[in-house]
Amino acid sequence: MKLNAQLWIGGVLTALFIAAALVSFIWTPHDVTALTIADKLKPPSALYLLGTDHFGRDLLSMLMVGARTSIAVALLAVGIGMGLGVPLGLLAAATRGSLLDEVVMRGNDLIFAFPSLVIAILITAVFGPSAVNAILAIGIFNIPVFARVTRGGALRLWTLDYILAARVAGKGRLRISFEHILPNITSLLIVQGTIQFSLGILAEAALSYVGLGAQPPTPSWGRMLAEAQTMIYTNPALAILPGLAIVAMVLGLNLMGDGLRDLLDPRVRRARG
Amino acid sequence: MIRLENLTLDIHGQAILRDVSLDIEPGKVTGLVGESGSGKSMTALAMMGLLPHGASTTGHAWLDEGDVLAKSEREMCDLRGNRVGMIFQEPMTALNPVKPIGEQVAETLVIHGRATRREAIEIARARLARVGLPEERFALSRYPHELSGGQRQRVCIAMAVALNPELLIADEPTTALDVTTQAQILDLLKGLVAEEGMSLLLITHDLAVVAGLANHVAVMQAGRIVEQGPTEALFRTMAHPYTRKLFSASHHKPDRAKQAQGAPLLTVENAVRDYPTARRGLFGRPGSFRAVKGVSFTLHRGESLGLVGESGCGKSTLTRAILGLDALQGGAIRLQGQDIHSGPRLASAIRRRMQVVFQDPYGSFNPRWRVERLVAEPFHLMDQRPHDIANRVASALDDVGIEPAAMSRYIHEFSGGQRQRIAIARALITGPDIIILDEAVSALDVSIRAQILDLLARLRAEHGLSYLFISHDLSVVRAITDRVLVMRSGEIVERGETAQVFAAPTHAYTRELIAATPTIPADWQGDLHA
Amino acid sequence: MLRFALSRALSLALSLVVASVVIFAVIEVIPGDPASYMLGLNATPEAVAALRDQLGLTGSLPVRYFAWAGGMLTGDFGISYTYKVPVADLVAQRLWISLPLALYALALSTLIAFPVGLIAAARRGSVTDYGIMGATQLGIAVPNFWFAMLLVLVFAVNLRWFSAGGFPGWEGGPLPALKALTLPAIALALPQASILARVTRSALIETLSQDYIRTARAKGLSRRQATTRHGLRNAMIPVLTIIGLQFSFLLAGAIIIENVFFLPGLGRLIFQGITQRDLIVVESLVMLLVFAVILVTFLVDLAYAVVDPRLRRRA
Repeated sequence: MKLNAQLWIGGVLTALFIAAALVSFIWTPHDVTALTIADKLKPPSALYLLGTDHFGRDLLSMLMVGARTSIAVALLAVGIGMGLGVPLGLLAAATRGSLLDEVVMRGNDLIFAFPSLVIAILITAVFGPSAVNAILAIGIFNIPVFARVTRGGALRLWTLDYILAARVAGKGRLRISFEHILPNITSLLIVQGTIQFSLGILAEAALSYVGLGAQPPTPSWGRMLAEAQTMIYTNPALAILPGLAIVAMVLGLNLMGDGLRDLLDPRVRRARG
Repeated sequence: MIRLENLTLDIHGQAILRDVSLDIEPGKVTGLVGESGSGKSMTALAMMGLLPHGASTTGHAWLDEGDVLAKSEREMCDLRGNRVGMIFQEPMTALNPVKPIGEQVAETLVIHGRATRREAIEIARARLARVGLPEERFALSRYPHELSGGQRQRVCIAMAVALNPELLIADEPTTALDVTTQAQILDLLKGLVAEEGMSLLLITHDLAVVAGLANHVAVMQAGRIVEQGPTEALFRTMAHPYTRKLFSASHHKPDRAKQAQGAPLLTVENAVRDYPTARRGLFGRPGSFRAVKGVSFTLHRGESLGLVGESGCGKSTLTRAILGLDALQGGAIRLQGQDIHSGPRLASAIRRRMQVVFQDPYGSFNPRWRVERLVAEPFHLMDQRPHDIANRVASALDDVGIEPAAMSRYIHEFSGGQRQRIAIARALITGPDIIILDEAVSALDVSIRAQILDLLARLRAEHGLSYLFISHDLSVVRAITDRVLVMRSGEIVERGETAQVFAAPTHAYTRELIAATPTIPADWQGDLHA
Repeated sequence: MLRFALSRALSLALSLVVASVVIFAVIEVIPGDPASYMLGLNATPEAVAALRDQLGLTGSLPVRYFAWAGGMLTGDFGISYTYKVPVADLVAQRLWISLPLALYALALSTLIAFPVGLIAAARRGSVTDYGIMGATQLGIAVPNFWFAMLLVLVFAVNLRWFSAGGFPGWEGGPLPALKALTLPAIALALPQASILARVTRSALIETLSQDYIRTARAKGLSRRQATTRHGLRNAMIPVLTIIGLQFSFLLAGAIIIENVFFLPGLGRLIFQGITQRDLIVVESLVMLLVFAVILVTFLVDLAYAVVDPRLRRRA
């Protein structure tokens, strides 16, 4: 029962934010780039459901577009991590113990020494701040995460007899990696993908909070918080709403990840099969 | 005196044990025999008060005056390790990897307040020496990973008997061990029973093990004891059909017509195989270990050749080399004159003439593929995929006794025995000359094993197959092979006609192996063989 | 053990060399000429040439790399272009805020997480367990800098127990300084403690299902004794891994939290460096952060070997 509840709550929360982000492409209650100073710092009303900020921008609209920014950055970062990390992990596992494996793993360790914030600082110092830099910074940090998870899962499978049977059937390591290994670690990758997605949301928020992420006028949750910070004495609501949005989105993803893991965990499934 | 009385156990509402009654006499060995899932381990855990969550019991387990099942957890803690000790099947994981062995043995004494830490270490030293681990060679400060499986099982025994319990429960204590190690551990247990006057409850799937050790035997099937009695009388009469079935299955010899000796098919000449050990650091060179040291033999067409040896003797490494999975460092392996290791990749024309069946029915199949695709996988070796794949898979399945309708199902829907049949179908699909059976029946219960051996004998006759039958189990090799090779530390130490090697082994190691293999005395089995 | 430590130390040194090459390459090679980058578009050629000279940009790449790396080894981090003082002096001042903050947070996080994880594992499936799991699930989802803002709102603005930011320095004694670091440390520690508590719980539960726990129970140890005598130390291995990883998150987090509380630490310095295009400061600080992370990884490796005898032989 609990398993389903986790998956449901997480799934609904996540779907809600994704829907808000998608809707924001075609419609938001107000234009987020239009500054209506006359309507600044309005409390919630029928016109502005969640009130306005110090430039008179509608908070709900800002949050919707902010969701778009967050999701886009986190999703692309997961894409980079998976796109490079999974093949590297498969390759390392397929050539276990070889120099290639060793180099991939040491390279991983090296990237782990650069937290995504540090990568972002480096990139920004050189190219200036932008959302693309945030994607790169988080994405690069995701590579070793996926490489490790993939390699670990793949190594466990490489010891199984069905892999030997495939080799006896004349299949090469590459073909085996894609025919036998990859399909059997997808559940592992889906779960890790969800986790990295939620970490990506948090990292994007942190980067844009310190000004290393999406630049004005693109709204982002992290920068909304940074701007609200100076007004925390007078208008605490401005600092609370974007934070709640981050918490709800990350919570939703994490619950979904846990629910998926329980659902897909081979140990749980095998006990029933 | 320990007495189980109408012990009934359910776990989450599922019936596990039904009315189990058993007397365990002091100073005697009581054997409890059954196939997997019969409930024999649960009987032991019930007596230890270590049943999993969701277990509910009725009946009694009397230990002298008190009913173990009625005791509180606190009382059970006093009892476990003190009056009742237990050892388990898997010695490799039974010890805490981060504590020295001396400390782990001493803990039994300390925890029951029988000795100070210092005294406990002294006693632990004596106990370890008693189980064959004298301090001069096995310091108390050693960690479990520095010991072999047999040595670890000795530590477990020392731990279980540290306080001279009245009852020692041994749950498949030697199943994970090699046959020579098994004999030593069984000897040790026998000696302890005789010396200390404790009772031993020996739980095993192997009739021969209880025949050699137990005074009293109980046979268990599906949660019930179907027959029990003094060992010799029980074996002589075998009143219950299940006992008879177990016995005949474990001694099963498939009928096979003596086949004419064909021409040489597979020749192995001075094969040498080095195994790389872990690379040390980024620039370190991997070490190497010579696992196969110049092995030569020939497998003839239509022949069933056995390869026997204990774990680590190099038989798996040799198998991989024959299959062309690993390169040789010396010598040659030829299939009808064609060198298997000539190119970087084994030609599929050679490869499809040689297929394999592995030990583990659970790890042998990709869980995400349907049976049709699984069985058809070796078609990858054909120059072009045949267009009637489905028909061929169906007929291969039919050949091994699986209904062709199974093609669209996933592997988890099949039992261990069925999976092994499907594995054989996969090996047959390319119409090979040779099938390598790598411990192919070792993971199966005896009754299933007998059926698979029959199947293998029939297929060999029908398809003119040659088998290379690799196993640690002498009785199986004896039942199914024409000739046998005995391998030890990477070398073949003895070879010959199977019957002759077993009747008159010439090499000391072969003799040791045969002597170590538990057997049921021939004169106990008269009725059945008549 | 010594062999193991030496081989790890060698790999530590190697990682540092590679990391320094990467940082050097990114900062000095990729953007073209750092001097014109630092001075902006309107700089005169003479000014650029003068700065090139001052930055030591006149030599070949390897020469400049070795000059920079050699300087770092001897504690010479170069002269900040904007502050006109040695970067080493700036770092020395600021380190006394950032390092205590990270350690304070690490201590808090560990002190909270261990008992909480233990209780949850011991009462697996109970209401307490579900409560703890729910709370930690929430804790993981909270961004630390937002949590910091909430803390300021509650404890500084409303309750007035703490000041909203700033740092009095260590000269006035450790207490005021620690007090100023308390809210930031809590903000940093809580999300990390949530993760650590969950890892501790699952590591313990995993360990408690091992065969040797059953062996211990068969010896007569109670569930609690088996957990403390055999479970804890084995469960330490995954927990150590996470603590090691968390240190780098704490360092990165500290950089951000310093912005919330206006703490003049390394984080503030690094962002000033970025806005003022002071590449010398950025380069040295990034190297320092990476050094800290690699060092912690090394220490965690040594800790593994202390906990697990199986690792000691592996070189």
